[in-house]
Amino acid sequence: MRRRENTANREQAENITPPEYAVVFDNVSFTYASDEPFAVKDLSLSVRRGEFLSVLGHNGSGKSTLARLISGLLIADKGKIGVWGLDPADRRQVNEVRRHAGIVFQNPDNQMVASIVEDDVAFGPENIGVGREEIGNRIQWALETVGMEEYRNSTPTRLSGGQKQRIAIAGVLAIKPDIIILDESTAMLDPRGRKEVVEVVRKLNKEQGMTVILITHFMEEALLADRAVVMNRGELVAEGTPEHIFEMGDMLETYNLTLPEIGIIRKNLAENGIPLAPCLRADEFADELAKYVEENHIHFNCPAYMPQRTPYTGGKEWDISINNLVYTYSKKSPFAAHALKGVDLSIAEGEFFGIIGHTGSGKSTLVQHLNALIKLPQAEKKYKESKVKKGEQPPAKSEIYVGKYNLGDRKCAWKELRCDVGMVFQYPEYQLFAETVFDDVAFGLKNFRPDMPAEEVKKAVRDSLEVVGLNYDEIAEKSPFDLSGGQKRRVAIAGVIVTRPKILILDEPAAGLDPLGKREIMSLLHSLHGDWCSTVIIVSHDMDEVVENCTRACVVSDGKIFDCARPSELFRRGDDLRALGLDVPLTAKICESLAERGLKVDCDLTAKGLCEAIIAATRGGQANA
Amino acid sequence: MLKDVTFGQYYPVESFVHRLDPRVKLLGLIAYIVMLFVAKSFYSLALGALVLAFVITVSGVPAKSVFRSVRGILFLLAFTSLLNVFFHGGEMLLAEWGIIKIYVEGIIFAIFLMFRLVFIVMASAILTLTTTPVSLTDAFESLLFPLTLIKVPVHVFALIMSIALRFIPTLMDETNRIINAQKARGADFESGNIFKRVRAIVPILIPLIISALRRADELGDAMDARCYSGATKRTKYKKLRFGWRDAVAVLVLAVLIAGVILLNIYAAAIWPAAAPYMVIS
Repeated sequence: MRRRENTANREQAENITPPEYAVVFDNVSFTYASDEPFAVKDLSLSVRRGEFLSVLGHNGSGKSTLARLISGLLIADKGKIGVWGLDPADRRQVNEVRRHAGIVFQNPDNQMVASIVEDDVAFGPENIGVGREEIGNRIQWALETVGMEEYRNSTPTRLSGGQKQRIAIAGVLAIKPDIIILDESTAMLDPRGRKEVVEVVRKLNKEQGMTVILITHFMEEALLADRAVVMNRGELVAEGTPEHIFEMGDMLETYNLTLPEIGIIRKNLAENGIPLAPCLRADEFADELAKYVEENHIHFNCPAYMPQRTPYTGGKEWDISINNLVYTYSKKSPFAAHALKGVDLSIAEGEFFGIIGHTGSGKSTLVQHLNALIKLPQAEKKYKESKVKKGEQPPAKSEIYVGKYNLGDRKCAWKELRCDVGMVFQYPEYQLFAETVFDDVAFGLKNFRPDMPAEEVKKAVRDSLEVVGLNYDEIAEKSPFDLSGGQKRRVAIAGVIVTRPKILILDEPAAGLDPLGKREIMSLLHSLHGDWCSTVIIVSHDMDEVVENCTRACVVSDGKIFDCARPSELFRRGDDLRALGLDVPLTAKICESLAERGLKVDCDLTAKGLCEAIIAATRGGQANA
Repeated sequence: MLKDVTFGQYYPVESFVHRLDPRVKLLGLIAYIVMLFVAKSFYSLALGALVLAFVITVSGVPAKSVFRSVRGILFLLAFTSLLNVFFHGGEMLLAEWGIIKIYVEGIIFAIFLMFRLVFIVMASAILTLTTTPVSLTDAFESLLFPLTLIKVPVHVFALIMSIALRFIPTLMDETNRIINAQKARGADFESGNIFKRVRAIVPILIPLIISALRRADELGDAMDARCYSGATKRTKYKKLRFGWRDAVAVLVLAVLIAGVILLNIYAAAIWPAAAPYMVIS
């Protein structure tokens, strides 16, 4: 039996020189339905062999359609596509096309066919009829390339998002493609996972010479590419080096993209008379600023930062206090896992509080205690006091108080508690179920206040839909499944705040959104905070999000509270946080880099605060007039 | 609610039994069950118990876990066995009410049946406790391989099973999340009459179905992109290997089967006086 072992042999055998262009689009158009606008319109694009191209665009700009057209999952209506000299629209060639161009998709969970890592990686080579021994070699090679070789016999469900996505990349690599396409493969990952994946991709391009097409809405990722193109409404609107794209500045906003944060800071400084050369990273920025200070003989003296608010003021009606919270999953089974190992935490009424931690750090378990989705053991009906031997100290009990509710009390008013403590889960749009938006939003209200007159229900639903920025009259009678992604998430949030909870908890409220969507959701939360709900708690792994929005934050690591403070203080402990595998916000990195160059900047670590501090410092310590 | 469900109850330790070829374990279980049905005396049953105890010991699984699997259906087993007391004929009449006659043989047979069923359940539990669902799928695929000759797409069935197993934990997590989200919105799944409870499932079921369909769609694309094109020309990476452990296991089974056959023949002669009580007619 003759089998084609890998690309190199194949090319030798058939004596084909690899083409100059890996992918060529020639005037391609595509639409999902004839009455819909074009998802891709008159697109022409060439990707050289060995090139690293990033495709930028907001959600719905047509960038994902691009990936599906390349691998023949979709067929263009008009125009011609060439992939490694082959035509993906030709049914006889499509399998060959897919051998050359592999795709890694967005959700790592939905790409895996097997319950064991090596079986999953073997799937591709099995499909193209690779011999047994060679499959074994390829699995080893692919897993080593993505740095996951020690997980060869693990179960993917127990891995983190970044690890799963690296397995998915290995699954594609095992086919030995020449082109690898990442279709928003980092959108659902935490910053650490994103870094892991991007690092692997960069290595593949630089060391293996693989052609990479990285589709993303994160500007920061596009930096690694040789070339970037911007898509908007199915059209290619800009192309050039990443630096060139970022220099477009405000133009990007018209394409629903946002400037990377460092660009915002540079722009702000330029407007205040401090022009700096283009830069993309924190250390480059520090270099530029140091150069500017030296060239202009500026006496750089930053005034000490005075926090304006004293955020933690306890003693109000809706304070939360948690004492020695311990929780173990699957107790008394071989899978027992200690999720929480003694958490002490106080959150005062009126705070915008951030809870930071990795996947699996215990942060989700922690917040699920706050509305008794997980009850304290002594509040369970079957609870029995464990016997304590004489002379021994009984183990300290876990206690939680949320406002007037004692969550350790068996007779606690659970329903009222859940009404007062609203909780929005991750990807809340996946929990919508009703026939109309109205019914879905009213669901909570009908559960908590079954006697509410219909008129009042209607008014409450109208109010909550409007506060999340949706038009009641347009949307109330629609099916929630006909809405766009961003609208669905808003409907889901409306469905929680409709009962006017005093405390609102959101688990990763901005997960999976593009930068503009993220910004909109955060400003929505600010408009709810204070007026609609007195306390807002967000669980997040995005440090920039926390530093820009929260009054106070805590870091959960390994089931314990590592630290709890104002973000400006918390993120000053950069080295400690990195030791936990967490990152610090860009602004903190800039401050660190500046300090290394002898420029001390003291600020609240928001982008705005950093700019103000730098401006004040360049004016010799005088406050900004 | 669903948090403590661990599918297949696989007990993750390293042991002789865990490392056996799953085909040997599967065929071994079938052989053991056949043996129990062929057995005609308590001597054979004792031999079966001995083998069972031996396998549990070398499997590294706590005996408690194995017994737990019986507990759930104990009532059913007892009921089935008890029924036989009333309908089994014999010679040694014990009691009589009208048409109902209870014989000593009936009671003996009921006890015999009870042990037989308990052993079957325990042996099956050992299989699922020591074998991952994945290797069981591999075993099924390998054992059903001859069917490909009559054009049964065994590979496709195996892939379907593998994908189903792969997605059980994912969908379980998803279900938990949806349940929690709806609970946080005041949904009540624990009180009310049966109609109320069934209605309460709607807000869980609809998002779950939609999510499963979305996942299926994406998985289909991902499989296509990884060159999946049906069963033709496919190779298989995992090959089940028959090793020395499997040879040992087959040997033990062979001894067991031979023992049962011998005992069936000579059961009455072992202790003639007790024969009416030890041998099932």
